[in-house]
Amino acid sequence: MAPPRTPTLVASPSLWDPVVRLTHWGIAASIVLNALLDEGGSLFHVWVGWTVMALLLMRLVWGAIGPAEARFSAFPPNPLAALRHLRELATGKVRPHPSHNPAGAMMAYALWATLAVVTVTGLIMTGGATPMQVASDKAAVASGDWSALIKDSEGESDEDRSFGKAAEEVHEVAANLLLVLAALHLAGVFLESRALRRNLVAAMLTGHRDK
Amino acid sequence: MTASPDIRLAGRRQTVALSVFLLIQSLGTVFFVGDVIGDLRADPFSAHFIFEAVVTAALVLGILFGAFALRRTIELLRAQDQALAVARGALSDVIETQFTAWALTPAERDVGLLALKGLDVAEIAELRGAAQGTVRAQLTRIYSKAGVSGRAQFAAFFVEDLLGAGVPEVNPTG
Repeated sequence: MAPPRTPTLVASPSLWDPVVRLTHWGIAASIVLNALLDEGGSLFHVWVGWTVMALLLMRLVWGAIGPAEARFSAFPPNPLAALRHLRELATGKVRPHPSHNPAGAMMAYALWATLAVVTVTGLIMTGGATPMQVASDKAAVASGDWSALIKDSEGESDEDRSFGKAAEEVHEVAANLLLVLAALHLAGVFLESRALRRNLVAAMLTGHRDK
Repeated sequence: MTASPDIRLAGRRQTVALSVFLLIQSLGTVFFVGDVIGDLRADPFSAHFIFEAVVTAALVLGILFGAFALRRTIELLRAQDQALAVARGALSDVIETQFTAWALTPAERDVGLLALKGLDVAEIAELRGAAQGTVRAQLTRIYSKAGVSGRAQFAAFFVEDLLGAGVPEVNPTG
């Protein structure tokens, strides 16, 4: 018979629920698509942008009403704890955490905030048009009806135009920041996996802690 | 035991399917909300806008309730996993306590546990590196200390407790 286990130390074998996993990989794929693969401003780019907005919103809703590990209360933003965790990571003595570790939590918030900035500035650049509207406008322009373009710029003051220009700048800077953060996130996951001797990527793929 | 992993696997598949559904729903709703905001800027008092706004609000509410139900399902599955672990721990606690009450020796405790797990005399003897005669003698002593007639009654001693606790309304004479 197995030695008696202490119930307080027995963590649930399932760590990440399907919503966390699907939104995580969906957002990751969207960032790769929109930052590296497709053409900025294309219809596909706008589609992916709207998709990632839905994924981000769903994850934030899930952070409020999801199960314990997915909720914000399980990983409150705490920069001091994050620094302490990074110091632990440097010495290779990390403690396992039930949800995100403190440094990972700060990274999650930073990624979400940056993604929100990218999404909002993207919406400003397209005038909040849904992909369907963008598609019909593009089709109209392609068929020789340039009124869609005129509609966009009519009644637009210099102030509006400089605001749009600023949104574009912020969109690009934030998108690059997002890539930097994603790279740091990958490095963090690699180091944490090695220190804990646990495959954190597999946990995010399958949802199970490996034993 | 073989059935329970299947049930839990089915439960997990169900939560994955519900999550996918929830995400597709939220995807659709975000497009709807974008469209409604566009209509709002165009003409906030048209019947078209009001109708779409109501539909979209219903969609948003549906997603929130769906998410809440999904969270309940996920928590229920986890609670079942944990209850199973606790039940296993509790049963082993009960066995330990009862063995102590019967004043079994350490060797008898081992043999008793193996017998409860369904191993026969030959297997227990091989596991413990003892003669079959020794194991048979130890089992006989365990049964007499426990006041049971044999292996079947010995195993039933613990199962009976579990069944009694699991049935709310037991016949008082039973």
